[in-house]
Amino acid sequence: MFNYLLGEAYRVLRKKSMYIYFGSFALLYLLLVFIRSGMGNEATQIKQDAETLAAFFPAVVGGYLFAAFYTDDLNAKNLTTLIGFGLGKTKIIIAKLIMVIIFGVLIFALIPVFMWAAFSVFNGAVPLEAFSTLYAWALKALLEAIAFSAVSAIIVYGLQRATFGMVTYLLLSLGVIGQLLAALFSWDLINSIAPNLSEHLMSGITIRIILGMLVGEPLILPIVEYLIYVAIAVALSVLAFKKKELEF
Amino acid sequence: MTILLQTQELTKKYGDFTALNAVSLTLNQGDIYGLVGRNGAGKTTFFKCVMGLAKPTGGKIKISASRKVTDVAMRGKNAEATLNAAGAEATLNAAGATSHAKREQAATSRAKGEQTSPHALSVARRQIGFMISPAFFSYLNPKQNLEYLRTIKGIHDKGEVKRLLKLVGLEDVKKPFKAFSLGMKQRLGIAAAMLGNPPIVVLDEPINGLDPQGIADIRAVIQRENAERGTTFIISSHILSELDLVATRFGFIEQGNLVQEITHTKLHEHTKKSLIVDVNDGQKALVALKSRFAEMLVATEAVAAGSRLIIESHLDQPEVIAKTLIDDGVELYRLSPQETTLEEYFMRLIGGKQDV
Repeated sequence: MFNYLLGEAYRVLRKKSMYIYFGSFALLYLLLVFIRSGMGNEATQIKQDAETLAAFFPAVVGGYLFAAFYTDDLNAKNLTTLIGFGLGKTKIIIAKLIMVIIFGVLIFALIPVFMWAAFSVFNGAVPLEAFSTLYAWALKALLEAIAFSAVSAIIVYGLQRATFGMVTYLLLSLGVIGQLLAALFSWDLINSIAPNLSEHLMSGITIRIILGMLVGEPLILPIVEYLIYVAIAVALSVLAFKKKELEF
Repeated sequence: MTILLQTQELTKKYGDFTALNAVSLTLNQGDIYGLVGRNGAGKTTFFKCVMGLAKPTGGKIKISASRKVTDVAMRGKNAEATLNAAGAEATLNAAGATSHAKREQAATSRAKGEQTSPHALSVARRQIGFMISPAFFSYLNPKQNLEYLRTIKGIHDKGEVKRLLKLVGLEDVKKPFKAFSLGMKQRLGIAAAMLGNPPIVVLDEPINGLDPQGIADIRAVIQRENAERGTTFIISSHILSELDLVATRFGFIEQGNLVQEITHTKLHEHTKKSLIVDVNDGQKALVALKSRFAEMLVATEAVAAGSRLIIESHLDQPEVIAKTLIDDGVELYRLSPQETTLEEYFMRLIGGKQDV
């Protein structure tokens, strides 16, 4: 599996569109910061930016990673190569998630540094304490990107259609499915049987993790919930992949 | 003769449709095996089953390839596969047997030194390079695509990619795969299949979309790899005349059934060109012809109205042959060329259906 991880890293690092995509977003952000420079209250502004952007990062950053690692394989019919070479389906699924985690950690670790640096260049020094807020939101976005990738992988391997997988990921990461479920859980009937189910949706779980880190609320339970969420998604992906024959 | 790949009663059904019906095929070391069949005959399904891309409904697959050429350093699981394959065979029983029957079969196989788990078969599959509809990452150039595969396969020799790109004529191509012509895609697919010098290479319709020069180039690559590195090939095509130029053995598949396995030599015995000469006196005609053409290849057989001579040489001199016979007083009833083409032979084999 290590060779496979190396190969995937080799491939994605040579994907020119990745540099163009993230480079474009970085430039846009620099432009935004430049336009707003000198308006004062930088510490609050950077935190607000982080909060606003974090809502879209799972879709914008995670979406690209999901496409690069999951749907590229389908478009290139690479799964036939991997399976034909004797790589197990479970290994493929786990390796993909590992790659999303590795690249996600790298990118989400850089984003707060970049935001802080951009603010500092155009607005003078920004208090270092802003970092903790930036990293908290980046971590939330990272956790969601990983979890949504794991869930969307069920569609990718079950249906083996790149478009369906990508649409599922975007619906999850933009909160469409979460909001629909939250609305459903708020019905009296469901609420009376299982109250506060919305807290156990991914957005609720990650918020509880962030609050745990920032203000000391209990951390263990949301982390365990998160891990169960991902583990079930991986298990379902494996089941779906093993039941489905490769199409080409 | 060493058997590298063998299927026994390999069957694949999709619902009520039988794509493969008890196909028992043997691939010997050094073969260039041509799997011939019409579109939809079951060639690709056969490869899918062998490569683990489709689950057989029944039958057995046995892979017992061992790496002969070891100029490519392998590590990890690849090395394990090489060792396993050298001393044991990997067998998958997909016959849908009961648990008890499966256990019994596993015990028997173990006693024979075979490894029966699907994992062992997966490891053994690493001895096979394959190309089934060439598809690569669209944004990577040929070198990068092969480097990706080289990394995944754990092949240490970095020169391998360069060697293969040169072999298929893509060494100077820098553009991404998405800008490739169909012929270039086929070439890259063939290079990928041969990456790491696997003992068996499976090529599904490798000459599809190639121009005549491309077909000749690919033919030369296959023959060279077979001769110089001992690579065994199994190649499918619905273009029999092209396979005829490269294959040493053939398997004819029709509607999921392997109709016949035959060597190149035997096949050509069925498809020779000849002149059919019907005369009143076969012996007299034979003497006349031998006195005129001492080295003539001719056989006689009795027919209703006299004798028939089947002449397999001097096919370009029918008028001289006719004159010789008439001058010697032989009554000539018929003189006509006869040729069974490979296509005609195949048609007869499958019952006269077209499309090959």
